[in-house]
Amino acid sequence: MQLPPSDMRPKLSSRARLQTDKVTGKPIVLYPEGVLMLNPTGHAIVSLCTGEATFEQMVAKLAARYKISAQEISPQVAEYLNRLRERNLLETRDGSENGK
Amino acid sequence: MNRTAPRPFSLLAEVTHRCPLHCPYCSNPLQLAPSRGELATEDWKRVLVQAAELGVLHVGFSGGEPLQRPDLAQLVAAAREAGLYSNLITSSLGLSRQRLEELKRAGLDSIQISFQSDEAALADRIAGVSAHEKKLQAARLVREFDFPLTINAVLHRGNIGRLEQIISLAESLGAERLELANTQYYGWAFKNRGALLPSREEIERAVEIAGAAKKRLLGKMELLFVVPDYYSDRPKPCMNGWGQKHITVNPIGEVLPCPTAHEIPSLRFDNVREKSLAWIWRESEAFNRFRGTEWMPDPCRSCEFREVDFGGCRCQAALITGDAAVTDPACQFSPQREVLTRFVESSQDGRTEFSDGGRELVFRQNAGG
Repeated sequence: MQLPPSDMRPKLSSRARLQTDKVTGKPIVLYPEGVLMLNPTGHAIVSLCTGEATFEQMVAKLAARYKISAQEISPQVAEYLNRLRERNLLETRDGSENGK
Repeated sequence: MNRTAPRPFSLLAEVTHRCPLHCPYCSNPLQLAPSRGELATEDWKRVLVQAAELGVLHVGFSGGEPLQRPDLAQLVAAAREAGLYSNLITSSLGLSRQRLEELKRAGLDSIQISFQSDEAALADRIAGVSAHEKKLQAARLVREFDFPLTINAVLHRGNIGRLEQIISLAESLGAERLELANTQYYGWAFKNRGALLPSREEIERAVEIAGAAKKRLLGKMELLFVVPDYYSDRPKPCMNGWGQKHITVNPIGEVLPCPTAHEIPSLRFDNVREKSLAWIWRESEAFNRFRGTEWMPDPCRSCEFREVDFGGCRCQAALITGDAAVTDPACQFSPQREVLTRFVESSQDGRTEFSDGGRELVFRQNAGG
C-alpha cells in the first residue's frame, strides 16, 4: 500500500454526511444512494477527515489513541482513506486538488 | 403476518404524477394520479417522520416532476429534521435560482437530473418538449449551489449510440454520479417496448463503453450501469427482494413494495391516510405477499440463486406471463423464457428507428385535474 503524501489533508466530501443511526445508535456515513456503517476505528478515522489535520497528524493521533506505532497504523489508515476515495467520499487537500 | 420484517433503508416519495415531460419510457402507470387526489403537505411530513422511525435513511423526492409541488422545500425540511438523506429526482424543469436557494436552506442533500441525450434535437424529441437547454442551465446552477449532482440517462434504441457523448456531458457538467439506466419495461415503457428495445450488439457495445468509463473515472465520478434484463441470462435482484429494503409511497398515499407494483392487478395497497407506515411495512398483505422465499414456486424454490436474485421481478412476471408468482421470465431457468426471447427477436425484425420520427411511440400524457 503506497502511503499518501504526509501533508495531505483529507476532508469528508460535501456529498457525505456523518451522523448517528437512530436504530442502532452507531455512527454512519450517508451519501447519494449509499450508506457506510462505521466500526469504531472507521469512526475515529472519518471523524479526523475535517480538512484540518494532515495525514501525518491523523496517524499520530490514531497511534496515540490505539497505543500502537505510527508505522504500524499508517498503512491501515491509508487503506481506509483509499476506500473512501474510491467511493468519491473524500476531498484531499495537498495544494493540488487531488481526488476531486 | 410477518413480525420479523427487516429494516427498510429507502423511501421513494412520489409526490406527484404531474410532469412537463412526455418521455415514452416513463415507468409511471398508464393510469396517472390526478392532482386533486394528491397527499397534503401534512400527510407527507407524517410519512417522512414515520419512515425515519422505521429505520429509513434515504428519501428520494420523485414523481412525475416533484418541483410541480410548491411545498417541496417544506417536505425537504421535514426530511432533514427527521435525519433522512434527501435526493431530489428531477427533470430540472422549474429548478430556478430561487427554488435552489429554498431547497438549500431546507437542507436538501443532493440532486439528480435526467438527461434524454447529449444534444438538444434528439433529447427534445425524446422528451416530447423543448427541455435540453433548460437542463444544461439547471445543472450548472446546481453545481454553483454546491449540491452533489447525479445525472441519470435512460438508455434505449434512440440514444444508446450516444453513450460516449452522454458520459462526456456528465463529466463536463461536474456530475459526481452518472446512472446509465437501460430502460426497464414497465408502465409507458412496456407499452412502447417494441420501439425502445436496442439490439444485442448495441447493448454489448454499451457495456464495453460503460465498463471502460467506470475504470477511467474511479474516484472522480461514480458510474452505475443498469443492465437490460431482456438480454440477460439471470434476472435482476429486483428491489433487493420484495419488502426487504425499499418503500414507495405514490402521489395518492398508497404504499408499494416497488415503484411499479401497480402492474400486479391482484395486489391491494394500503394507504398512509389510514394506516401507519410501520403497520403497512410489517403487516400489510402487499408487503408480505412475496417477502422471503416461502411464496416461491419451482424452479426458484430449489434454486441455488434464490437468495441472490429473489426470483427476479414480480412485476415483470405479471406483465409477461400474467402471473406475478412465477419465476421472472428474464431468468434462463424460467419455463417462460422463450416468450421474452421471441419478443426480443420480433422487436429487431424490421425495426423502426427514432430517426424515422418515433411514429410508433406513445408519448406520456398527464391525467386531467
